[in-house]
Amino acid sequence: MRRALLLLASLLALQARAATYYVTVSGLGGEPDYEQRFAAEAKDLDKVFKAGGSAAQVYTLSGTQATAAQLKETLATVARSAKPEDDFVLILIGHGSFDNVEYKFNLVGPDLTGAEIAALCDRVPARRQLVVVATSASGGALAALERTGRGVIAATKSGTEKNAVVFGRYWVEALQDSAADTDKSDAVSAMEAFTYATKKTAAFYDSQKRIATEHAVFDDIGRGEAVREAGGGQGTLMSNFTVLRLGASQQAANDPARRALLAKKEELEQKIDMLKYQKAAMDPQDYRKQLTDALVELAKTQQELDK
Amino acid sequence: MTRALTAASLLLACAAPALAAVPADCWTMRKHGHRPEAEKCFDGLTQSSDAYFRAEGFWGLEEWQAANEQFRLATQAAASKAPYKVRWGLLLHERFNNAQAADLFHEALAKDPANADAYIGLATVSADGFDGKAMAYAAKAVELDPKLAKAHELMATLALENDDRFAAAAEADKALALESDALDAMAIHAALELIADKSPDAWFAKMNAINANYGEGYAAVAHHLELHYRYDDAVVYLRKAVAADPRLWSAHSALGIELMRLGKEDEPLKELELSYNNEYRDAATVNSLRLLDSYKNFDVLRDDTTVVKFNKQETALLRLYMQTELHTILATYEKKYKMHLDGQVQVEVYPDHEDFAVRTMGMPGLGALGVTFGQVVAMDSPSARKPGDFNWGATLWHEMSHVFIITATHGRVPRWFTEGLAVHEEGERSAEWANRVTPDVLVAIRDKKLLPVAKLDRGFVYPEYPSQVLVSYFQAGSICDFIKATWNEDKLLGMVHSYAVLKSTPDAIQENLGVTAEEFDKQFLLWIDKKYGAEAAHFDEWRKGLKGLVAASEAQQYDAVLAEGPAVVALNPEYVDDANAYELMAAADKAKNDSKAEAAALTLYMHQGGQSPAVLKRLAELEKTAGQDVEAAATLARINYIYPVKDEALHRELGDLLLAQKNYDGAIREDQAVIASHPLDQAGAAFHLAEAYMAAGQKDKAEESVLQALEVAPGYKPAQKLLLELNAKTN
Repeated sequence: MRRALLLLASLLALQARAATYYVTVSGLGGEPDYEQRFAAEAKDLDKVFKAGGSAAQVYTLSGTQATAAQLKETLATVARSAKPEDDFVLILIGHGSFDNVEYKFNLVGPDLTGAEIAALCDRVPARRQLVVVATSASGGALAALERTGRGVIAATKSGTEKNAVVFGRYWVEALQDSAADTDKSDAVSAMEAFTYATKKTAAFYDSQKRIATEHAVFDDIGRGEAVREAGGGQGTLMSNFTVLRLGASQQAANDPARRALLAKKEELEQKIDMLKYQKAAMDPQDYRKQLTDALVELAKTQQELDK
Repeated sequence: MTRALTAASLLLACAAPALAAVPADCWTMRKHGHRPEAEKCFDGLTQSSDAYFRAEGFWGLEEWQAANEQFRLATQAAASKAPYKVRWGLLLHERFNNAQAADLFHEALAKDPANADAYIGLATVSADGFDGKAMAYAAKAVELDPKLAKAHELMATLALENDDRFAAAAEADKALALESDALDAMAIHAALELIADKSPDAWFAKMNAINANYGEGYAAVAHHLELHYRYDDAVVYLRKAVAADPRLWSAHSALGIELMRLGKEDEPLKELELSYNNEYRDAATVNSLRLLDSYKNFDVLRDDTTVVKFNKQETALLRLYMQTELHTILATYEKKYKMHLDGQVQVEVYPDHEDFAVRTMGMPGLGALGVTFGQVVAMDSPSARKPGDFNWGATLWHEMSHVFIITATHGRVPRWFTEGLAVHEEGERSAEWANRVTPDVLVAIRDKKLLPVAKLDRGFVYPEYPSQVLVSYFQAGSICDFIKATWNEDKLLGMVHSYAVLKSTPDAIQENLGVTAEEFDKQFLLWIDKKYGAEAAHFDEWRKGLKGLVAASEAQQYDAVLAEGPAVVALNPEYVDDANAYELMAAADKAKNDSKAEAAALTLYMHQGGQSPAVLKRLAELEKTAGQDVEAAATLARINYIYPVKDEALHRELGDLLLAQKNYDGAIREDQAVIASHPLDQAGAAFHLAEAYMAAGQKDKAEESVLQALEVAPGYKPAQKLLLELNAKTN
């Protein structure tokens, strides 16, 4: 998970952990193969999120439960429980459609439009939200879902990419494969998971010698065109949005006895971030020395923390 | 290649309207070097009331579109003359449209089946693609009109392209007997003299006496020199061509392309742009310019003996394998061929097959994987092909053999021998890369289609049946295998030396092997029969058996597959391509959960030269499960010669195996390959590399790599631990 240089992370680092609300929906498959695949993906996510400990509030809808009414009810429950400091993650897996005006998520019974889903999410008080639309035509939902404080990921760049997508499969895999944690922070950020899933999706089409019919995009500034890579302000929220904590980091954040060491660690991490930011303007030898010193110090601090 | 079939050729004896000149007069002036008079003459034709005359006039003035339009008018009447269509076809051929040119020649023949000129047109178009029909078309033209000098000139050209020097000289003489100003026949003689290392001056003097500006003659000579591996000499004659006729844009283009083949860039760009800007825009010119432009995307790695060009996206990965292999090849061949190359060898590796294909345009043979021009090798990158399509290692050993043999003989080597030796060398490097009999080859053996060694070159340039080029590669390689098996490998080097002093194939065989070419053929065929006679005789049985095996496999009748499979394998054990018996048997074993038998079937597949990365990975997996880590590593290492690209997992797995086996250099290489594969987990890849360096005792490099890992991921605990360990040792 890339750290923001503006020290925003420090505001969150030492406080007791807030909750994360996860809502996963596997929509209507239409065919047995898709039904099974979507349901299996939702089941995997349910397992992964529930392993996240008491801070994780997990809701999963699949099969006959995946109706508009159930989804509305579930999101209403989340809206009642969640606090502004909590995180909210909504993951929609399945088929979608787009008629050049409106995106619809295919559910058992009536579908829900992108605007309806956005309205339901708007009622959730969590300031930081992540909506992952892993469906065909999901690019058509972006405009409706974009909002400040919300990262929105769509499996397709527009509503016109209408073939069934594989992005969802790799999004799930990202949360199961430690390789997705590219900064080895024992946590997978939304940006890391997005990068992992897009890379694996591209490799899938390449290995199958098929023309890619899906190109995932995201927006986390709440306006304008969605993008495929971080930059120009896009990506900051998602880089700091932890989708899943792994291993030790789940416990460390809540241990008051280690506050001082955690503060030192945070300070060193910020120093390293700053050094990397200034790298291009620094003398290479000086950069290396300062980086090495900071990394050694950080390693020693971590060693203390791990005792 | 646009043939040196000048517009003056095949000209009609058409009745002239009320004009002072007919097209033939104007073209004759041009042919004889009277350019101003010819231009005036052509200009006069454009004023004619006859569309055909106007077409010839505009053509002579190089106003191609107008000429095309007038030909259209001249031929639109149902009763229009067949020869007009032939002339129109030749115009289109000259302007790079062979498809429509061929249509027009066929239309002309529909009107007049005895039109010899139309057959020459067809032969010309076919010859551009080294289509075997070219010979037949030219022979038909001669049969229809034995007094057509141009037909004999074309026959001479085709014969020399096929390295049939005697026939080339005879046909050129026939042309000269019919027309004393047959300039292209003189060019053939000049080329023959040069190929025989004799002075061509007398022939050029004759040509100059007729037309001192006849650049086409020099260009034709260059073309034949190129086909005889004389690339530097070809450049010399292309320079003479453009000096004689600075407006000969085709020669400027050919010069640019030839210089590119020799590894140059600046002068080719100048020549090709000159050609392009003067409307000579054939596919070779346009694509070569595009290729030159793409060189900005390439890295150039130089050392004392090599220059290697990789696409920037692939440099970090491919240099680990190809550059190392190249040096191994140089050392091996220098020892084996007892020679040292002067200067650097240049190897260009193209990830886009179309870029590589530009390098082989206008060349005969397969040209499918690699091509050698003197000391420059161009080849596909593994990423240019589907996984398993080709083995870059075998290709590099093959092409580098050409580099040595062409250098050792100064280009005086028959095509069959250099190709055969190169194929033989692949098998010397690895038995799994050896010459493998394919169904097409078995059919050729069965049908007794192998050529006598003295005529084997003809199977490479103008094939008489579709698979003849492939069959000829196999035969040539087998001949070299046979020489080694029956005599010894030194005899092959002896033949190289014989060719270097211009010995013919029969002489080289007699001198080194002590038998006549005819006796050699007899012995070789007996050897081949002993080796493949049974497979060839039972070819239909094998094909039927394999078909049954595929059907049984599809029907999941695994017992039947396993029962019949060994017999199918025995009928053709070298077959490892699509739907081979080994894979079908392995699939049946897998279905029956017999991993030992599955591994055994796949091991046979691998040793026979099977190179599907997916299949080899499956074998490695089985070997690992069986605790055969050394074998698993060796299996995965084979994939590095086939498809090392886009496969981070392959390198990671192989690196881990090699590290466990204490093969630190190999582990370091594979971990570097993981990093070069642009992995998602960059920190993990750098840490793995650090571990390999650490294990190898290279602490400085280990620290460098662990810092790279931590720079990406400062909180990466295993890397932190290693850093502290390194730091403690330093302090």
